[in-house]
Amino acid sequence: MHATKEFNKKGFFKQFLLGLRISKSFTTNPISIEQRKNSIKLSSDLAMAFARGRTHWTRALISKLGGKEENTTMLKGIMGRRYGILMAIYSYPLPHQKVQRGKKIVRSYRFCSGANKRRALKGSCNRVSPSIVARNLVNRRTKVLKRLVPGGELLNGSSLLSETLDYVISLKAQVDMMKSLWKATQISSSRNVELDPSASCQGRKLLMLANSKDEFQLFKKS
Amino acid sequence: MSSQRRTITDEEIRELISKLQTLLPESRRRGANRASASKLLKETCSYIRSLHREVADLSDRLSDIMETMEGDNPQVEIIRSLLN
Repeated sequence: MHATKEFNKKGFFKQFLLGLRISKSFTTNPISIEQRKNSIKLSSDLAMAFARGRTHWTRALISKLGGKEENTTMLKGIMGRRYGILMAIYSYPLPHQKVQRGKKIVRSYRFCSGANKRRALKGSCNRVSPSIVARNLVNRRTKVLKRLVPGGELLNGSSLLSETLDYVISLKAQVDMMKSLWKATQISSSRNVELDPSASCQGRKLLMLANSKDEFQLFKKS
Repeated sequence: MSSQRRTITDEEIRELISKLQTLLPESRRRGANRASASKLLKETCSYIRSLHREVADLSDRLSDIMETMEGDNPQVEIIRSLLN
């Protein structure tokens, strides 16, 4: 159903390392710790989104990140002269998409909870329908999910589910890759540690990635 | 992706839900199919939040490491020391 993560790992590392290099170059100007942390997180999120390609949530995420003024320097550094094209490709929302306000859901929720409260106050026998309560819970939690998934507010039902699935997979991959990069730095900092063969194999792979100058090969492929 | 309406089968929805369940850490422990919509949503939301926190935490740790690194090219430093 979805693209395999093998390709995405390579793309992610390239992007992320590029972003790290750019964040590092910021150190020449006085930069706060907060800003450096933000630029690393930004590189990571962008790397994850670009590695995935164009989906609903990646477009929403990239547009959101690109819309913030403090991020433009970073984005332009990463994308180079393709900044304009890429921001257009990843524009969000598309003209025909409108943000749903979900009025129906809110109205029925208010109506139901009001009715339930009135019943409780009257002290009459508890005729709260469990299905209504369950439905409210589902609606509330769906709203929360919509806020968590980039672009979620435009989606409903099965689209929301499939985007959520895709997003969770990408998030997991992002975490795993950042962890392995961090572990690599741990190994490097303790130079007395005996390196096992798998570590140097991974190192060679990373070296190949780092030396490749073709930063946006992955865009031609996607 | 166009947002044109297309009928999605129950089968596809079931597949999505079961895939999501296999991803969530909770369901792996319990094993049995305890899917109720609200439970699934709740676990998904909390899982996404915990992943966000992990990313933020790892970003902090990586930025600390980067501070102690010399030179302009952090990845070359890492890899060089890996290979040595």
